[in-house]
Amino acid sequence: METPSLTAKPPVVPPVPAGKEVPFGVNEVRLSARQWLATLVILGLVALLTPRVWKRIQRFDTGPDYRIPYELSKDYWLYEQRLDQVAKPGAVIVLGDSVVWGEYVLPNGTLSHFLNQQTGQPDRFINGGINGLFPLAEEGLINYYSGPLRHQKVIVHCNLLWMTSPKADLSTEKEDQFNHSRLVPQFSPWIPCYKANANERLSTLVQREVGFLQWVGHLQNAYFGQKSILSWTLEDDGGNPPHYPNAYRNPLAQISLTVPSPPADDPQRGPKSPRHKAWSTDGQGTTRFEWVELDSSLQWQAFQRMIRQLRSRGNDVLVLLGPFNEHLLAEDNRPAYQKLRNGIAAWLAQNQIPVVVPEILPSELYADASHPLTEGYELLAKRIYSAENFRRWLE
Amino acid sequence: MLFHTWPFFVFLLVVLPVFFALRKTRLWLPWLTVASYFFYGWWNPYYLILVVYSTLLDFCLVALMDHCPKADQKVDVMARLTGLRFDDRVLKFAFLGSVLATIGIVLLATFGPKTLRPTMAVFGLIVLLMGLGALYSSRKIWLVISLVNNLALLLFFKYARFVAENLNGVFAWIHVPLHLPDPSALMPLGFQYLLPVGISFFTFQSLSYTIDFYLGNVHRERNFLRFATFVCFFPQLMAGPIERARHLLPQFYKFPEVRMQNFTDGASLFLVGLFKKLALANYLSFYVERVYDNPKAYGAPALILATVAFGWQIFFDFSGYTDMARGVAKLMGFNLILNFNNPYLSTGLGEFWSRWHISLSSWFRDYVYIPLGGNRHGSFETYRNLFITFFISGIWHGAAWTFVIWGVLHGLGVLITRELERSAVYRERVPKMIKQAGVFLFVSFTWIFFRAESLSDALLIVRRTFTAAWQNPYIPALMLGLVAVVWTYELLYESRFRELLKSSFVRVGGAVCMVLYLCLCSSGGGAFIYFQF
Repeated sequence: METPSLTAKPPVVPPVPAGKEVPFGVNEVRLSARQWLATLVILGLVALLTPRVWKRIQRFDTGPDYRIPYELSKDYWLYEQRLDQVAKPGAVIVLGDSVVWGEYVLPNGTLSHFLNQQTGQPDRFINGGINGLFPLAEEGLINYYSGPLRHQKVIVHCNLLWMTSPKADLSTEKEDQFNHSRLVPQFSPWIPCYKANANERLSTLVQREVGFLQWVGHLQNAYFGQKSILSWTLEDDGGNPPHYPNAYRNPLAQISLTVPSPPADDPQRGPKSPRHKAWSTDGQGTTRFEWVELDSSLQWQAFQRMIRQLRSRGNDVLVLLGPFNEHLLAEDNRPAYQKLRNGIAAWLAQNQIPVVVPEILPSELYADASHPLTEGYELLAKRIYSAENFRRWLE
Repeated sequence: MLFHTWPFFVFLLVVLPVFFALRKTRLWLPWLTVASYFFYGWWNPYYLILVVYSTLLDFCLVALMDHCPKADQKVDVMARLTGLRFDDRVLKFAFLGSVLATIGIVLLATFGPKTLRPTMAVFGLIVLLMGLGALYSSRKIWLVISLVNNLALLLFFKYARFVAENLNGVFAWIHVPLHLPDPSALMPLGFQYLLPVGISFFTFQSLSYTIDFYLGNVHRERNFLRFATFVCFFPQLMAGPIERARHLLPQFYKFPEVRMQNFTDGASLFLVGLFKKLALANYLSFYVERVYDNPKAYGAPALILATVAFGWQIFFDFSGYTDMARGVAKLMGFNLILNFNNPYLSTGLGEFWSRWHISLSSWFRDYVYIPLGGNRHGSFETYRNLFITFFISGIWHGAAWTFVIWGVLHGLGVLITRELERSAVYRERVPKMIKQAGVFLFVSFTWIFFRAESLSDALLIVRRTFTAAWQNPYIPALMLGLVAVVWTYELLYESRFRELLKSSFVRVGGAVCMVLYLCLCSSGGGAFIYFQF
């Protein structure tokens, strides 16, 4: 196409006078209605089939006591696939945060492991916990990624840690960065400390609804270090030792078609790890928490909505309330805690939701305010299993 | 609200259906105006004050210009001053309005908040000029007011800090006890001193209307809403293309014809633009940022590749924006002009500037180069005019010495290639590919000054490009592959094999690949580079 040069003598008129056809552009990607239709059909098929085919061809080795690896905590597509694997009559899925997942313990030291031990059925209780979860995020996980859970028996752990302060409750105005922000409600109810811009919120909503995009998220989580594929190709900058060797060469080589397994021996967890010790061994004294009011707690409201949602899907729900580490509570701080715990128990009773409120564990079996150590989980499982209402519910 | 973000998608989902629903009423134009103002106000509602002010003033100035005789004529100034004997009632009211406004401004400056005084001083000057314009019935004065007003806004928001800092540096150097205040001190009523997004674009567009009217190239627009929509039409408000009144204003006279092809063409343009921005420009920016943020840490290959990558990044970024802008306008049935025409396939720098940011190049050509004399007065004057035009073009891009040098280099480059093109040996013997490579390398070299954080960084990059060691640049193969694909596509487009690109297989396959690539590899947000200008 001829265009006037600056150095040529130009006319004193705009480049395209009114009435003249404006050139389409300088490419031939100019699709007709039929071509657009063909494009949309092809895209629809690809979007529909790829995640399904992927589920079949990707190796996902789980085994007994499997829990979603810490590095894949945000791979909700994989979580859904895991639920799809384990959802079968008789299985009980234990849902919750890092207390259920087992922050300080190995997979064979978790609550679900010891409950299986109690019942003598190795695959009856499934660890459905995710590290870093909290009720506002768990609600999102249940709403958008837990379809296969329908009509299953589920135990939901209620951790009072999320009501120990307005900050933990996410009800402060000051901006806060927290895990699993893509699971929390983006617009309603409003979370005051969540300051994501409109684009982030809307893109989260879209990703939740489009299976293909969830699958893309899985690729990024499982193979590209939780980064976008493009960012990942720039990770190798010659550092020594390289974090991502040869990232700049061929990103496709990274896709091994096998979901990364958790480390065989996690030095951060288990009885041999330095973190696996009682909360009081460092000389930590008692604490006063700024317990939030139950009526205004965002986390509690999310928990209530989640329970209702599970029941509406035909789930047989049992709530495990606590046991919170009351040993670290200052004496004058206990009434507020008890009021909160009683309020929760009352609401559950009022709504005829089976609840187990286990007796507090010995102080030395807690690693912090809410996480038991391996022996703590073992004792907890025994106590839960011996509770009459639990056995009744289980049968 | 960026084109490639979800809020814009939602915005479009609201604007388009209402726009088409109103097609049989007269409300479609006000709707377009409201949507455009909403789009602009989304960035910062304070920006709206500026764009509305600028639009209103230029609309009134052209209306007043229309009431003045085209040829100079003698007026009895004393009779007008003493007896208010004006031939034209509008001019009489304008004069009286100016006098009353002057009184108001003086009162406000005297008794109002102190922070209002600098703003009132500027308003006072404009109102004074308006009084003179009415008094002398002079079209030229109205034009001067428009120029002063638009350029003052641009200069203040874009260059005042740069000028103050440089002058303060000079004062300190020559030991003169003077210190100019930061321009933020001149802002009224506690407003922040922020560069309004797209100010260079809408002021140039509005200014072109007043100049064209003065020159007799366009008719006066009597409908304020139509003029306001012309100035702030949301697809091209932020970064062009800078439209001319003759082309865009008539498109707002009646509701555009509703055709399926508008939708398919608009969607095609938008998809290509989205791909350019998200898949190419943003990806390239990762590498460019890494190297340019710390040029000392990289060897010559990385610096060279980052510079070339920036050349492609800015092309994809800006032409991607333009494609999306044109696509959105086309969805509604409006045509925006072409702004890029495969510039990296140019065989000369003059040609490069007729293919790169065409709407700005033609703006400078029509309102700077030609008024300066163009090429009508011999070689020396032509070169001088070209050089001045490119110098101003450099400054237009930003308030920094790096942009000035960039403009100067292009000015010199144009002069040199113009001389070369005069020689038959160069014209006929040098292969086209060599010329294209030469232009690309020169333009890439100049991008160093455009992109570097500072002049010292730019000089460091130039030095290290020639002296630093040759190390593995760690540039992703995928990045190189994508650029190679685009380059091949452009070469095919301008070759005899162009017909191949028109086949349904290539078109549908291309669109599918682009969408899938965007879903798989999208690198997220990132504003457009040209928004800062």
